[in-house]
Amino acid sequence: MRALVIYCHPRQGSFTEAVRDVVLAKLNTVGAEVRLRDLYAEGFDPVLSGREHEIYEDEALNRDPVASHCADLAWCDTLIFVYPTWWYGLPAMIKGWLDRVLVPGLAFLMPDEANTDIRPGLTHIRRLGVFTTCGASFWLTRMIGAPGKRTLLRGLRLLCGRNCKTVFAAHYLMDSSTAESRAKHLRRVAAKMDRLVGKTPATRRAEAAA
Amino acid sequence: MKRALVLFAHPCPESFSAALHGQVVARLSAGGWAVDDCDLNAEGFDPVLSEAERRGYHEEPANIIPVAPYVERVRAADALVMVFPVWNFGYPAILKGFLDRVFLPGVSFRLEDGKVKPNLTQIRKLAAVTTYGGSRTRALLVGDPPRKCVTRAVWHVCRPEKMKYLALYDMNRADEAKRAAFLDKVGREMEVF
Repeated sequence: MRALVIYCHPRQGSFTEAVRDVVLAKLNTVGAEVRLRDLYAEGFDPVLSGREHEIYEDEALNRDPVASHCADLAWCDTLIFVYPTWWYGLPAMIKGWLDRVLVPGLAFLMPDEANTDIRPGLTHIRRLGVFTTCGASFWLTRMIGAPGKRTLLRGLRLLCGRNCKTVFAAHYLMDSSTAESRAKHLRRVAAKMDRLVGKTPATRRAEAAA
Repeated sequence: MKRALVLFAHPCPESFSAALHGQVVARLSAGGWAVDDCDLNAEGFDPVLSEAERRGYHEEPANIIPVAPYVERVRAADALVMVFPVWNFGYPAILKGFLDRVFLPGVSFRLEDGKVKPNLTQIRKLAAVTTYGGSRTRALLVGDPPRKCVTRAVWHVCRPEKMKYLALYDMNRADEAKRAAFLDKVGREMEVF
């Protein structure tokens, strides 16, 4: 298993960091190879530039500005996002990671003479996990339509393998969270991770057969 | 004169989004609006909410200091028009970051008993002008997040009298005629906005 963890939080010691650590511990337990990208720590620039937009559809060039991220995305079979939800959506940092890294030729294939619609390019991704925190309640988030969750679990999911497994967990009403509610959420994250990657190391053979 | 804040998010001046942006600004002005034209890429807006900003997020009124000029422009607006392309089922990051950093507690909403109360109610009109690469069906399948961001999340803090969501779907396959018709429609809507 090759897991890419996209982590986004501006502050050290945040609850989101605790969620990330549960995710990493679970990946470690099953013996996954892990690449962790901490977007704030590495100072990722989320703004797609004019130049990048010009070469967006040029598949020979479009990975260059974010080559290492594109390589990670091409490498992984398990993709996990850990971030706080802001304005019901993804932080600009994560949205910009999608804008810049999900380029044609890698994430999806543009329509051509033979195909009238966009085709998925991330069919090698078999597991997608999304872990977040929301200031708003579950119901308000639902009412707004949970744009952040949908961008990843429906939008990005469309580009992944047909049998891609997904898990999602959010701690709602973060501003009135308690030590107890946070501990409970971390247990939920651990259980979701078990569902996503299993509880024990997969043998090479099982992995190869999957 | 009523003021309209136009938030524009596309890096390329030769793009169709830039044409829409030009059309929006021109026709709003023709319709009698004082337009505050905010081109986020051209102004070099930084969409990343910093560690210090995150820590001070709820400290009113000091929380507005890092983005004070933008807060002023939002507060002065009687109408808000967002012009952007949909990328990967959402706003471009530069526009999402505008919400993250500028739509702060005490600016766009107040927290009363833990509930979000609208605080930009001077914005009486709200519009979005946008383009999607994929089809409407594809957007619906995903739940059309950008439409919901505008018509629900931003709507929720403004509670405008009038809201328009003008979208051209299926840009990847749209011909000249389709684009021209959309440009026309946007012009008409903006002139009577």
